[in-house]
Amino acid sequence: MLDNLNQDVSILQPSLQMTDSQIQNRIRQMKMEDPDDQTCYQKFCNLFTIEYYREYFDVTTELVIAKVVNAFNPFSGTFFDIGGGIPELYGPFWILNTLIFTTALSVNIIKYMQLQPGEHFEYQFQIVPILTIFMYLKTLIVPMIYRVALKCVSQDRLTLLHCLTIYGYSAVVMIPISLLNSIPNPAIQWMLLVYVLFAQTSFLTSNFNQELKYLPKEKKYMIVGLVAVVQITIMILYKFYFFSSINYEQLGLVKKRTTTHLLPHILGAN
Amino acid sequence: MTDNQQVPFGSGMFQGQAKFVDYAHMNQQEVQVNTLDEPVMDTLLRDINMILYKLSYVIIPRMKETQGRKLRNWDLWGPLLLSLLLAMTLGINSNQSSDTIFGTIFIIMWGGSAVITVNAKLLGGQVSFFQSVCVLGYCVFPINVAAVLITFLQSYLGFFLRLIIVGAAFLWSTFSSLSFMSSMMNEEKKVISVYPIFLFYMFLSWFCIFI
Repeated sequence: MLDNLNQDVSILQPSLQMTDSQIQNRIRQMKMEDPDDQTCYQKFCNLFTIEYYREYFDVTTELVIAKVVNAFNPFSGTFFDIGGGIPELYGPFWILNTLIFTTALSVNIIKYMQLQPGEHFEYQFQIVPILTIFMYLKTLIVPMIYRVALKCVSQDRLTLLHCLTIYGYSAVVMIPISLLNSIPNPAIQWMLLVYVLFAQTSFLTSNFNQELKYLPKEKKYMIVGLVAVVQITIMILYKFYFFSSINYEQLGLVKKRTTTHLLPHILGAN
Repeated sequence: MTDNQQVPFGSGMFQGQAKFVDYAHMNQQEVQVNTLDEPVMDTLLRDINMILYKLSYVIIPRMKETQGRKLRNWDLWGPLLLSLLLAMTLGINSNQSSDTIFGTIFIIMWGGSAVITVNAKLLGGQVSFFQSVCVLGYCVFPINVAAVLITFLQSYLGFFLRLIIVGAAFLWSTFSSLSFMSSMMNEEKKVISVYPIFLFYMFLSWFCIFI
């Protein structure tokens, strides 16, 4: 049976356009239907082999770059047309890691700029584990919310992995923004925040458009509203937790308030 | 066989007075007895020579892919020493949380190498796990040099000079590991398998600037 499969696939290959790893996965699936053919390891530990996940990393450089460039464009709505809309995990994973790196960098740059002349700079490293947890949790939970919402309006074209892929790529906008956030001007920071909210939300909604097109108005606004609210929550948490240590007075951007310092009095200045 | 000739011994090269050992006709037990009987200094020197030999491949980055293949006799001593050195250097300079930084750098180095290797394997490269971890570990050597330099010359270097030194070290590291990693992957997947290495070394380099 397997020999026939290989033959058939090779004849059909030009029109079927299956990649190698997909072919192997199909063969494996067909093997799974025949339980005598499987070893115990294959039955239970398939999850731990690398081949199982290879399907989700089936990307080339061109594909990744095309998707990233598409993610910067909030109105095109063509994200799922690139490369056949196959869900993949390479993009979201490395975009997340880049984002963690740039945010940690930007927070430390802000801290460095606020250094007093005699002080020794302490690299604030504790932020990296917190950032990692925040980003990974966000990327795991939010696509689930989207998938549940899309299922409620009864469409099945986008699976959970599709939602994960598109959410991961939508975070690309945050990478240059997190670097620019190190500029300590409050007006610029709020503008950047608004821009990211707008860009991510419109990117996500224009790509869900095919599902939203045929819905009645209330449901459409509900989905768009859900996406926007989730984004707003995340961005506000992000800004206020990680970038809250900016002391604008110290950087000379805001007039100093005259406060009496108690400590010198206590220490005996009389 | 003359003395003072480089002969392959175990997984590295051994210079000095060596008798030619014919592995093809010797059984496993005889080989083990030979290395057990030798003085400890010989064993240490042999391992140190092996590490220095591999370091020479890092110090002079070779873009030709055939030369990168000699790094395939992997060993983990070099990466261990380099990661300990880097973690200690960066940890000493931090007054408050030196143990956190030490642990973090150590984990990032080994965890990062593992993640990059798994990524390369998932993308379809024919790379063995430990070879890749070994190469990535050895290529941290320039960043180590930069960290040690900055530690000793701390007061003389302004921010921009540090930036230049660390930037040069980072570029050097990346080029060294490029020839090995890109020989493993298809043409169309080279950039996406090299990008994580770039990110990894950049992450380690930024620590050095802020000492």
